[in-house]
Amino acid sequence: MKKIVIALVGQPNVGKSHLANAISGSNLKIGNFAGVTVEKATAHLSTEDFSIEFIDLPGLYSLEDFSADEKVTKDFLLTAEYDLILNVLDSTNLERNLMLTTELMELQKKMIIALNMDDEAIKEGIDINADAMSKILSIPCIRVSSKTKTNIDLLVEKILHVNKNPLVAPKMIYSDEVEEQLQTIVKFLDDKHFHATNALTNRQIAVGLLWQKKEMYAYMHEHPLYVELQPILNNALGHVYMYCQCEEIEEVINRQHSAFSTGLCAEVLRVTNAKSKNFTQAIDAVLIHKLFGIPIFIFLMWGLFQLTFSLGEIPMGWIEDSFGWLGDTVGETISNEALKSLIVDGIIAGVGSVIMFLPNIMILFLGIALLETTGYMSRAAFLLDGFFHKFGLHGKSFVPLVTGFGCSVPAYMAARTLKNKKDRLLTMFIIGFMSCGARLPVFVLFSGAFFEEEMAGNVLFGIYITGALLGLIAAKILRVTAFKGEDEPFVMEMPKYRLPSLKLLWFVVYSKSAMYIKKAGTFILLASMLIWFISSYPQNSLIEEEYTTKIEALQAQLDDAASAETVAPNKEATEETKPTEETTAELSAQDSGSLEDTIAALENEKHEKLMENTYLGLMGKVVEPFFAPLGFDWKMGVATISGLAAKEVIVSTLGVLYSLGDEVTEEDNSLREIIASNMNFASAMAFIVFVMIYLPCLAATAVFYKEAESLKYTVYLVLFTFITAWVLAFITYRTLLLFT
Amino acid sequence: MDLSQITKNQKAHITHIYAQHSLKKRLFSLGLGVGKEVEVVETSLQKNTIKITLGFSAVALRFDEAKLIEVEVA
Ligand SMILES: Nc1nc2c(ncn2[C@@H]2O[C@H](COP(=O)(O)OP(=O)(O)OP(=O)(O)O)[C@@H](O)[C@H]2O)c(=O)[nH]1
Ligand SMILES: [Mg+2]
Repeated sequence: MKKIVIALVGQPNVGKSHLANAISGSNLKIGNFAGVTVEKATAHLSTEDFSIEFIDLPGLYSLEDFSADEKVTKDFLLTAEYDLILNVLDSTNLERNLMLTTELMELQKKMIIALNMDDEAIKEGIDINADAMSKILSIPCIRVSSKTKTNIDLLVEKILHVNKNPLVAPKMIYSDEVEEQLQTIVKFLDDKHFHATNALTNRQIAVGLLWQKKEMYAYMHEHPLYVELQPILNNALGHVYMYCQCEEIEEVINRQHSAFSTGLCAEVLRVTNAKSKNFTQAIDAVLIHKLFGIPIFIFLMWGLFQLTFSLGEIPMGWIEDSFGWLGDTVGETISNEALKSLIVDGIIAGVGSVIMFLPNIMILFLGIALLETTGYMSRAAFLLDGFFHKFGLHGKSFVPLVTGFGCSVPAYMAARTLKNKKDRLLTMFIIGFMSCGARLPVFVLFSGAFFEEEMAGNVLFGIYITGALLGLIAAKILRVTAFKGEDEPFVMEMPKYRLPSLKLLWFVVYSKSAMYIKKAGTFILLASMLIWFISSYPQNSLIEEEYTTKIEALQAQLDDAASAETVAPNKEATEETKPTEETTAELSAQDSGSLEDTIAALENEKHEKLMENTYLGLMGKVVEPFFAPLGFDWKMGVATISGLAAKEVIVSTLGVLYSLGDEVTEEDNSLREIIASNMNFASAMAFIVFVMIYLPCLAATAVFYKEAESLKYTVYLVLFTFITAWVLAFITYRTLLLFT
Repeated sequence: MDLSQITKNQKAHITHIYAQHSLKKRLFSLGLGVGKEVEVVETSLQKNTIKITLGFSAVALRFDEAKLIEVEVA
């Protein structure tokens, strides 16, 4: 079976990833803005005779101008091994897309052109004569639609066909003057019998030299012939500049390519009715309106967090109840105390406390998916650029920052679309301030525990907004200290609005949920078991005995009192005064009440003492001084540390710790209530602030290191986030203490 | 006259681009070449960014960048 490697290349947002999915049934990420794909990805298709590998590359506007994601594509095109280029074009924006095609044609590779979005083109009255285009370019051009899957089979057929046959050089024609100069150079090379070792034709070399490509110069410089070539080249360039009346080669190239594209469009493109842009224009008139744009944006965000809380609240109760029921039922069947505790207090409590937040996570990811697929993302970037700019950020930073609300890992990668290294690093530093989906459970839990039901959604929104604002301030500080430098210009394409297919939305939400559940079932499960183990052992029998005796003694007293009361109420009055019958009864009731309380308190104290002497408790003691100024008890400190592994672990750790200590207060058994009764308001808020800011999980930090390519910056990130988190949590705690 | 001075819903032709190197290339590759017709369709409140349409696409720019694009009202 022969393997064919195909590079999918095209301008951003033309549907390369969608096309790869349509052909191979893969599930590459799709979104309606430029810069969705930032790293190469592979999709496979096997037929009877061939195994085709599609390399989906980040979109790029031209081969010249590159940000980190575009560089991935350029490097791939110039250095990697592949059999042919599948150039994907947006049929509804042919002329501009052809500009890249002309550059690709200069690479002299086997090529196929997919005129994608044919469905949209037909709706907009755009008709492209693909046959004529194929003839003019000597490249097969096929009208396809990834959305409706039209002509996909034909495209595969063509790919196989082109792959089988030898390369047919694409026909790229420049203006007569340029052609003339190219001929001179080619003739010189031919006369010298020059043959490039890397299979470049002499015409290619001539084009490369005339267009002043660095690589080509470097290559030719090695040859002695270069000495003679140089004057010819100078002469040719001089002529070209003269004809074009301009002194910059970029501009010359652009004009050549642009003239070619315009000419080609004139031949093959027919537009019948131009009602096209109305839909997008009409929506934009509202959504990016001068005055209403930003309020609408804020309203939409607010709505999302309201829904996340209030809609997520409903199934959350059911899930928690089911896990509670599961714990009880399973617990009854296990007689071994330790095993029972492991399963009920460790696994079920830990995993359950994470799964509980699945509905919230689903809504959040649905919101992000809508933002990504409708085209609103670049509008938001447009609206916020002015605001961001004041804080030294770039409008485009919006995309990685929003991605950061989902998860920091893809967010760090999405920062690749920022061209300027400093902008990129700056954005990466503050991505952590955008609370990721894994922190959502912590916030939902705490806002539910400490605020009224109606307010909780607003609190949630407030937490995210505060995080984002803190991020902006941090950006400003970093901008004037660590990342000084020129501003990157803001130039961004605005795609048209598209209605995402339900299938796509469902897939996004489904796959995120599946991932979340999988994480709960594996990683969180193990973490919960570990936490259970180190918070249950070693068991200190001394403490156990001491408290048991105390409690038993009190219990006996209580029993005595109770029996005494029923037999002879008056006998109880042995203390100081001589009360009347009525007050005696009252007193005895009070007495036994307080006795019960003491027993409960002792019981609690026993659990506390026991836990404090376990491995985890001892660890907690070590970290306690660090967290004490923030009002954290050792359990919160431990949860914070464990959150470094993954932010969901914070909740599962709290779940296990409070479930273990919770045998006394049976009546309020939801984690939310336990937390509300065990923490004071000020420490809880300080905890939220700390979680909001401190280091994203270790996996994300590793990705940061990979993307920043610098250990120094990674260390800075760790220090920066911890110090900021600590200081702000401290301020929060101390301030709130003053008021409560 | 540069692009930042064009009022909303006015069409203009690009006559020159003063931007430097990479920005110039980016503008070119987004379709903002000399001779192209553009229309300003939206401006933001504090005159930070503008949205223009050209041919079949729409592009957002900052005012700073728009100042580098010389145009002639059609
Ligand atoms: N109507 C229609 N929409 C399409 C078609 N192909 C892609 N789209 C939409 O176009 C948008 C961009 O698709 P992607 O596949 O993410 O584009 P891409 O070229 O991979 O973009 P980058 O990775 O950013 O370079 C998405 O909203 C798709 O749903 C098509 O054939 N018809
Ligand atoms: Mg893509």
